[in-house]
Amino acid sequence: MAIKIGTEQFTERVDNGIHDDFMRGAVASAQDGMSMKRKAATTEDLGNWEEWRNHGEEIRQHVLKYLDYYLEQLSENVAKLGGHVFFAQTKEEANEYIRSVVQKKKAKKIVKSKSMMTEEISLNPMLEEEGCEVVETDLGEYILQLDEHDPPSHIVAPALHKNREQVRLVFEKKLGYTKSSNPEELAYQARVTLRKKFLAADIGITGCNFAVAETGSFCLVTNEGNADLVTALPKTQITVMGMERLVPTFEEMEVLVSMLTRNAVGQKLTSYITVLTGPKEELDVDGPEEFHLVIVDNGRSNILGGEFQSVLQCIRCAACINVCPVYRHIGGHSYGSIYPGPIGAVLTPLLGGYDEYKELPYASTLCGACTEVCPVKIPLHNLLHKHREVIVEKEGKAPVSEKLLMKAFGLGAASPTLYKIGSKIVPAAMSPFISGDKISKGPGLLKAWTEIRDFPAPNKERLRDWFKNREKGEKS
Amino acid sequence: MIGTIYNRDKFLNQIASRLNRPRISAPMERTKWKYEPQYEIYKDADQYELLEMLKEHCKKIHTEIFTVDLAGLPEVVNEVVSEYGGGPVVTWKDERFSKWGLDSLMKEKWPSENVDVFEWDYTLWEENVHQAEHANVGITISEITLAESGTVVLFSDKDRGRTVSFLPKTSIILIPKSSLVPRMTQAAVKMREMYQNTGHVSSCINFITGPSNSADIELNLVVGVHGPIKATYIVINDI
Amino acid sequence: MKVTIFATCMVDMFQGNVGKAAVELLERLGCEIEFPESQVCCGQPAYNSGYVKESKEAMKRMIETFSDAEYVVSPSGSCAFMFNEYPHIFAGDPVWEIKAQTLAEKTYELTQFIVEVLKIEDVGASFEGNVTYHTSCHMTRLLGVKEPPMILLQNVKGLKFTELPGKEQCCGFGGTFAVKMAQISEQMVDEKVRHVEETGVDYLVGADAACLMNIGGRMERLGKPVKVLHIAEVLNSH
Repeated sequence: MAIKIGTEQFTERVDNGIHDDFMRGAVASAQDGMSMKRKAATTEDLGNWEEWRNHGEEIRQHVLKYLDYYLEQLSENVAKLGGHVFFAQTKEEANEYIRSVVQKKKAKKIVKSKSMMTEEISLNPMLEEEGCEVVETDLGEYILQLDEHDPPSHIVAPALHKNREQVRLVFEKKLGYTKSSNPEELAYQARVTLRKKFLAADIGITGCNFAVAETGSFCLVTNEGNADLVTALPKTQITVMGMERLVPTFEEMEVLVSMLTRNAVGQKLTSYITVLTGPKEELDVDGPEEFHLVIVDNGRSNILGGEFQSVLQCIRCAACINVCPVYRHIGGHSYGSIYPGPIGAVLTPLLGGYDEYKELPYASTLCGACTEVCPVKIPLHNLLHKHREVIVEKEGKAPVSEKLLMKAFGLGAASPTLYKIGSKIVPAAMSPFISGDKISKGPGLLKAWTEIRDFPAPNKERLRDWFKNREKGEKS
Repeated sequence: MIGTIYNRDKFLNQIASRLNRPRISAPMERTKWKYEPQYEIYKDADQYELLEMLKEHCKKIHTEIFTVDLAGLPEVVNEVVSEYGGGPVVTWKDERFSKWGLDSLMKEKWPSENVDVFEWDYTLWEENVHQAEHANVGITISEITLAESGTVVLFSDKDRGRTVSFLPKTSIILIPKSSLVPRMTQAAVKMREMYQNTGHVSSCINFITGPSNSADIELNLVVGVHGPIKATYIVINDI
Repeated sequence: MKVTIFATCMVDMFQGNVGKAAVELLERLGCEIEFPESQVCCGQPAYNSGYVKESKEAMKRMIETFSDAEYVVSPSGSCAFMFNEYPHIFAGDPVWEIKAQTLAEKTYELTQFIVEVLKIEDVGASFEGNVTYHTSCHMTRLLGVKEPPMILLQNVKGLKFTELPGKEQCCGFGGTFAVKMAQISEQMVDEKVRHVEETGVDYLVGADAACLMNIGGRMERLGKPVKVLHIAEVLNSH
């Protein structure tokens, strides 16, 4: 599905989100619950959490600074173990390589563990085109896949927008499920159905939480254990990673895993953290005989070296999404991207372009909640602001009326004389709209404000005048 | 066998050019980090405190935990297996089971009571996975145990199949008390040392924290999704 | 002590009472107040909308206006924070960066100034009423002023305090966000209003006129009886 999800325009998407009561309730309670769990697992449990953030930041910045070096080291080590490494600059190249592996293996059945990167390159449609049965094995992703490829609305809890009854209906329709909407029964059904898929699969495809350059290892983080089955049972494993998702050694991997699980789900560690190195060894019974690593750029190198580089520090924990007051009310689908929330609003325009996503950087009050929680210290709200600057000044994509207004603002605010005259005539200019001490139906920009709230009537006497008059009074 | 690397130079040159410098390829010295908070956590805790921490955390991860002396081990293992509904049981092939006095339970008592026991045998290939898939209980051993998070660490090899800890319905993990460390930090250091000393890393190292679970439906925690539905840790007093 | 008031355009034009209260309060605490006539807007509305070029002229005027001040004090956390941003905005500028730095270093939000510079924790105010407090995002997160308003409110005689649920959440103002993304802003301010109502207080107090105008304007539109006061007004009651 690539980055883009849905076909509606931004306002329409937001409107749908706002009117989806179940989704909003689910998001609000998820945010409130996660906030508490995250705080307990970070600031409260670790005490020196700021030091952890500083360390997380320095690790990620270091890796980005020497990215070519570490990718070379990683690929050397993977190859030494017998794995094949394909560097893909575009999503097309990545898909073509994976297609060639599928064809060579004559694979028909594929199981996948959760991977945003494979969403980003639209891997599943290509595999289906090849006649493969592709099964997502993360429970949330599986539900979405069964429900006619409903897009994910959260990078950690992809089916957050769905309630149990909706899930039951999907299972009934697609799996002939006859039991209740109790989550345990639903999950059991998924276990039974998916277990058969794991055992029959020809190829397992995974994403990558962190690759370890020094040893050529890959770390996969789950609670369900699905990534373990995806990598233990099929004879061929393909791992698809964004080019920035690596660390120098196991020691840095540990730090980032600790930060990821605590921030993503408020757990000290998730139930399964799997560190895989190469294909299986000769006498190992389980594990893949063949291992392919696909390292994907897909627009990332254009971000490197520029003013948005720090967005590549992201470890996909979704802490920013879980505190964002805008995401809270509009939900993931409103962003029109597989990457929602603050990280999505920064990353999506970089990967998908301003034409499609120019509204996203404005879908923020710049309240800074995202920046405050980011474990690797990405200055998210500053990057949102940076986007606005680029949209206005380099891309020239701002509305003309706004440009004029801001130009006038620039002139007026910069000149004390103009400001004084302007502010003095405000009461007179606004007087037609004032009733009592407020404005309930304002003109121009005030219209959007007063559709929702009252606006105060201007002071009859500006503060500066009051101050001057008072001083005069005192002196006389 | 050495794998193939495709398109590397073009890809990495593009990165170097975006970073506005020549490509770096020569080995780099290990970085000195400015911050390293992870080594400070629980660094002074002794084995007793670590065990208490582990026990405490097990409550949060839906995992039962027992502490036993070697003499009491067979009885506890037997009880847990019966509580889980008996066999079939699948175990790693590991001489420690015998060293810890489990032979009479695994090789005599259970077979005589019609509890099926299967010991991993790589020469039987696929049969191993088949056995694991049909097993009720899988028994494995933790090499490193993280007190802070209640995590066991399993290293796979030809005698220690990955699937023994994933496929059976329930999981019993034996924990030598000497394997307790404060947190994942120590495990990472140890893994790195092993790699530097031998040039080798186990093809699958698993950090397992309790049974598998998911909160993907309305954020309701469901214990037991793809992996085991129940898990028990048995700490063996080996020091 | 000489204090130069940075009133903010919002207070100057629309919230005169807030400015008056701040001036009177500081005077009562022994400060001598100046109000430079040449002060304009800090440039935040245009800057935050991405119009950096347009806003820089206003910023330069402000830097000049306050160049002689000993302390610059503002009854708005957000606008005071904007002065703190100036050095970043002019980073690399041979003339303005250093001047911006000087201004940033002497700029304080009102309650921060009282607690950290004047070292006063009890301003001798008394205020009868049930009060909750809205922690503005820019003031708490970006300027980093969390404790001072709480300390000062705690010491107001007669004031009964109830914490606002979900206080970390933005009220939905966000400058031009409130009009550009009006449909989202409405949802955000509505949740804030619900939280204020849950506390059952008579007064909502805050330290940022803009947030208060947003929440207050919505409460007024919805006919909610809760009154909105700037913290300067509460601290100036005696």
